[in-house]
Amino acid sequence: MMLARVADSLYWIGRYVERAEHMCRLSDVMLNATLDRTDAATQVASIVQAAVGDPETGIGLTPYQMARSLALDREDAGSITASLSRARENARQVRDQITTETWERLNLIYLRVTGPGAAKAFEDGSSAFLNEIISDLHMFKGAADATMSHGEGWGFLMLGVYLERAQLIARLLKVCFGDDKQSPVTDHAALTSLLRMGCALEPYLRRYTADIQPKLILEFLMFDADFPRSLRFTTSRIAEHLAGLSGYVDHSSHSGPERFAGRLKARLQYADVDNLQIRDASPMVGTVLDECAAIHSAIYDTFVAYSLEMRLPA
Amino acid sequence: MGYRVAIAGRSNADSTPLPYDEMMTADGSVRPHYKALDQRVATLGDQELADRQKTLERFFLLQGITFTVYGGESSTERIIPTDLLPRIIPAEEWAVVEAGLTQRLRALNMFLDDIYGAQQILMDGVVPRELVLSAPSYRREMQNLYVPHKAYANVCGSDLIRQPDGAFAVLEDNLRVPSGVSYMLANREASKRTFPGTFRLAGVRAIDRYPDLLLSTLKGMAADWRPNPQVVVLTPGVYNSAYYEHAYLARLMGAPLVEGRDLVVHDNMVYMRTTTGLRRIDVIYRRVDDDFIDPLTFRRDSSLGVAGLFNAYRAGNVVICNAPGTGVADDKAVYAYVPEIIKYYLGEDAILPNIETYLCREPAQLSHVLANLDKLVVKAVGASGGYGMLIGPHASAKERADFAEAIKADPANYIAQPTIQLSTAPCLIDGAIDARHVDLRPFILSGEKIVVTPGALTRVALKKGSLVVNSSQGGGSKDTWILGAEESRP
Repeated sequence: MMLARVADSLYWIGRYVERAEHMCRLSDVMLNATLDRTDAATQVASIVQAAVGDPETGIGLTPYQMARSLALDREDAGSITASLSRARENARQVRDQITTETWERLNLIYLRVTGPGAAKAFEDGSSAFLNEIISDLHMFKGAADATMSHGEGWGFLMLGVYLERAQLIARLLKVCFGDDKQSPVTDHAALTSLLRMGCALEPYLRRYTADIQPKLILEFLMFDADFPRSLRFTTSRIAEHLAGLSGYVDHSSHSGPERFAGRLKARLQYADVDNLQIRDASPMVGTVLDECAAIHSAIYDTFVAYSLEMRLPA
Repeated sequence: MGYRVAIAGRSNADSTPLPYDEMMTADGSVRPHYKALDQRVATLGDQELADRQKTLERFFLLQGITFTVYGGESSTERIIPTDLLPRIIPAEEWAVVEAGLTQRLRALNMFLDDIYGAQQILMDGVVPRELVLSAPSYRREMQNLYVPHKAYANVCGSDLIRQPDGAFAVLEDNLRVPSGVSYMLANREASKRTFPGTFRLAGVRAIDRYPDLLLSTLKGMAADWRPNPQVVVLTPGVYNSAYYEHAYLARLMGAPLVEGRDLVVHDNMVYMRTTTGLRRIDVIYRRVDDDFIDPLTFRRDSSLGVAGLFNAYRAGNVVICNAPGTGVADDKAVYAYVPEIIKYYLGEDAILPNIETYLCREPAQLSHVLANLDKLVVKAVGASGGYGMLIGPHASAKERADFAEAIKADPANYIAQPTIQLSTAPCLIDGAIDARHVDLRPFILSGEKIVVTPGALTRVALKKGSLVVNSSQGGGSKDTWILGAEESRP
């Protein structure tokens, strides 16, 4: 049993920390790739720009300017600082529900990115700045994992993390392989950068060796059973956590999100991977994005914004 | 060793007695209970002290023990200034405080039970009827309402000051939604880290049971009709300056922290919206003022409370702690009568004295106040937090004249007290130890029985010579060590 508002906040903490981590990685990969003046560099910059989701704002900016504003612009709702501030604001609202260890990690990151030294730290070394946030966020997740009860609240936190992750990876795949107006990415350096953005380069190499091919990348990021950022892995975690949460509900009216998640999980688990083609990317990724949106609103209808008439005591 | 007590703004012509210093006697020696701390501080040196002060501030910042300052485009979070040198109170002095506070709260609860019941004390003319019934904090809605154990003020935080002769006196009772207890607990955490050795040897009484005691006091308010009552903490929300404290207490009690929007009243029962549907609530420890708890009963423009909450309370289906309407007993005008109130109900003399108070509503006292504005502190009855007051000796002639007009326009709204001397205590200010004025806010719980926590929040006026300790006006705080009785020390 937990307050609906608290569940909502925990869910959003999960989403925001995942988003911040992803944006850090995108920025870092882009800054690194664009050190070379190659076509691939331009391609990586445009991938990131499209994946960040706001093609208008990036126009005319150098990759460095874009990364800087993505990191530090407090006015931009999609920036890393904004995501971290919101995660921390949500954590403050449920301060009684998360452990002190977990809170302190998040508060520390927040104090650093919003502190007076943040801009200088970014200018002194953007890569160090971004990677420090990533590793701090790992510590946050580690502290949460090691100190919080793995009960209902944990379920909502993880649901936020995995749902956000599924949507971010799906959007990245859509930008690279599923955009009907653009041809799929084929350049070797750009593909390597793509793997880096998904934190997938090393696991990919171990699985497929240094044979970098669009089809294999698509296969890996969509269907790998063990890689924690593949769509199959994330959706199966979403289904798992939803099944766990329904254990706390005594109604039968909660089948909505569980049914959507189960269906999506099965789709990815039993897909025909052997005959996968790059042109399948667009419809498949589209389905994943639609289903994730449906799961999100079903979670709200079931746990948070339900109508009171249905739940009044007899 | 020790330090030199000097307070700015004193002239030789000043005839008021020197303030009491917590650490130094008038002849310049260190009081016995401060000796160990004094020696420790002397061996540390200035640099180490400054480092420890920094560590302490970092601890508060990391924990998020902050309040938000709104202004301009961005809002910033600040920690409440915290001083690392503890204030120490010996066992025998505390025994008097404890007995005095218990006596006082017993009498005030009986007073509340009486005025919201038979009103015997008003019939007997001990307290003027119109003073009570016209007070804005008097809640007609509470009349003849059953309050378990007759415990109206379940959580009380009284403000004490130490007079020049060393005796404690009560400056103010806070029976509405007193705050600061989280600072008491956090200051203790910090001072254990700052002076671990001295702390251990001093035999300081533990305060960490406060959350347990609070929870059992709250549960006890519903125990006679619910076997295992559901307790919640009601907060105005994250933008309230005491939000940290609300979350802190909820976490340490294991009680949900709810906002008005989480609650629903249906058939005079109060429910909270959970992920698994509606869950009934039995006891609400509310940190929302009376005016805002129920828009149907009190202020209609409030969005912080729950519509229908008061009716559920009247129906006996939920307990609100503190009870609405307790504010009438800490009204600044009613305060003047507290010694008589204690005498009336308990037949005892007050153990802790009041500060002499003039009521401007009485014509004779009003003319005395107006003639002596340069010596008095005048306070508006309804205001708190250090607002709406005139400190006569520190005010300009014009400020005094303006205030005199305000008093004449509405005399019933003002009381006056002699300029009180708060005691001073050593504080680390800009790297050096200096005297600052302090007060003392202990916390008292009342339910089935009354419990005084053996600790307190010591508030510090950080500006040299200032007597205003409120955190909204540049005050800070420090830990307060209540020493155990001699034989119980290790």
